[in-house]
Amino acid sequence: MSSLAALTRLLHLASPALPVGAFSYSQGLEWAVECGWVTDEAGTRVWIGDLMRYGIARCEAPALVAMMRAWRTGEVNEVLRLDAEFLATRESMELRAETVQMGYSCARLLRELDTLPAFTRQALTGIGELSYPAAWSAAAAAWTLPPEDAVVAYLWAWLENQVMAAVKIVPLGQSAGQRLLVALGEPIPSLARAAMTIAPDEWENFTPGLAWASAMHETQYTRLFRS
Amino acid sequence: MRANTQSLQRAEKTDCVPAAGLCGAGHAANPQAWQARLALEFERREARTVLSRREHFGPLRVQKALYPEGDALSHAILLHPPAGIAGGDTLDIDVTVGPGAQALLTTPGAGKWYRADGRRARQDIRLKLATGGSLEWLPQESMVFDHADGLATLDVQLSGDARFVGFDLWCLGRRARGERFEHGRMQTQVRISRDARPVFVERAVLQGGEARLASPTALGGATVFGSLLIAAPVIDATLLDICRTENPAEGRGAVTRLPGLLVARYRGDDAEAARHWFARLWALSRPTLLGRPACPPRIWNT
Repeated sequence: MSSLAALTRLLHLASPALPVGAFSYSQGLEWAVECGWVTDEAGTRVWIGDLMRYGIARCEAPALVAMMRAWRTGEVNEVLRLDAEFLATRESMELRAETVQMGYSCARLLRELDTLPAFTRQALTGIGELSYPAAWSAAAAAWTLPPEDAVVAYLWAWLENQVMAAVKIVPLGQSAGQRLLVALGEPIPSLARAAMTIAPDEWENFTPGLAWASAMHETQYTRLFRS
Repeated sequence: MRANTQSLQRAEKTDCVPAAGLCGAGHAANPQAWQARLALEFERREARTVLSRREHFGPLRVQKALYPEGDALSHAILLHPPAGIAGGDTLDIDVTVGPGAQALLTTPGAGKWYRADGRRARQDIRLKLATGGSLEWLPQESMVFDHADGLATLDVQLSGDARFVGFDLWCLGRRARGERFEHGRMQTQVRISRDARPVFVERAVLQGGEARLASPTALGGATVFGSLLIAAPVIDATLLDICRTENPAEGRGAVTRLPGLLVARYRGDDAEAARHWFARLWALSRPTLLGRPACPPRIWNT
């Protein structure tokens, strides 16, 4: 695939229009606002930036890299093993339900796209629970997207979704949201590069503040988001 | 000066010498570095759980099994006479619970990870439970001194319908002395699996003084953190509801339910409040989980 064709596919996979329901999740942000941890643009920047740095970039991103590699070499059992590992790192009922629902929607969508090889579509059919990175990586691998670029796109899509949630919940103005995307987008390339080489026993999911906020969100009285 | 005091304390408190060949060559930097190993096996014999195997090398011990709740459940107290882990030490703890056996293990005091003096310390705990078995793994908290450098792993392997309750509580720095965890490193890995399928995985590499310790997404400046983990084939929704009625007296707690797992997380500055909260949740869950009322180990009161 030419690099521009690959770029087109990446934009597709990173698009908020991808029908996987990402917009309905705040990943603990709604509770972080409710309890007063996040009250303004500066606080939002810390919360989202730290989650990306300490959580997503050190656990979900390296898992995504390994999953893309396994899809590329046709090792479906390895994808399933990585998927089970990743699901076991989910900190709360809601965070687990979120990735499983998005994985399900993503897999269903991919099965309907004829551009994916029959092998991938078939593999996606027989699987019960599938996390979002496990499903998303199937497309990235099938389209032979450069892994590091794919991680950049994945992190960007996550970031954009978080910032859009913050604009609604905190709330923030649209300009503040765009300022956050500029600032928080900056470290994405270096985080993606690091994610390419983190050894599996150094994948980290130590974000107890997120785990706490997400567990509290499960009983939040009024809420807009599903996590 | 502190290092000297520690050495003395280690020398005084332990009554055993390192076994030859286990601790000698290559340990010049810390001649007192211990390689300690403890292997325990609990076995069900008719109505009784017996401690059928007890092997130790170096300073790790259990005293005889206790039966404060009758024959079916064996209590044991894990002793580590040096009271702490220094640079270069390795501790290996293996506990096997056979089919239908029931065991409860605890410790008499907080574990300590001392200043490392350039050498890494390591503790590996493996707990294997056969189907029908249960293990209540209720150690007191682990304190991480400034300048510690350690790796702690907890690997719980469940089979069939085995049930597990575990405390995993950490304190960074010695708060009573105003000491914070500003230097060094503490790496922790907790893994629970059932029939080789992962149920819970949490890994952290904490660097002393790093920004993450202050980040609201991680510790938010808190010095005490940890989880109570309950693993069973099915965790009832009512157990979650019951556990959510309790809160720690200080700090923040939250409870969630994952497939085959209940997790109660603590974040705050008060290890005692965390311990008491864990103990209350343990007491509340015990009737459902093990069909027993709570019976707090007497050593917790001392």
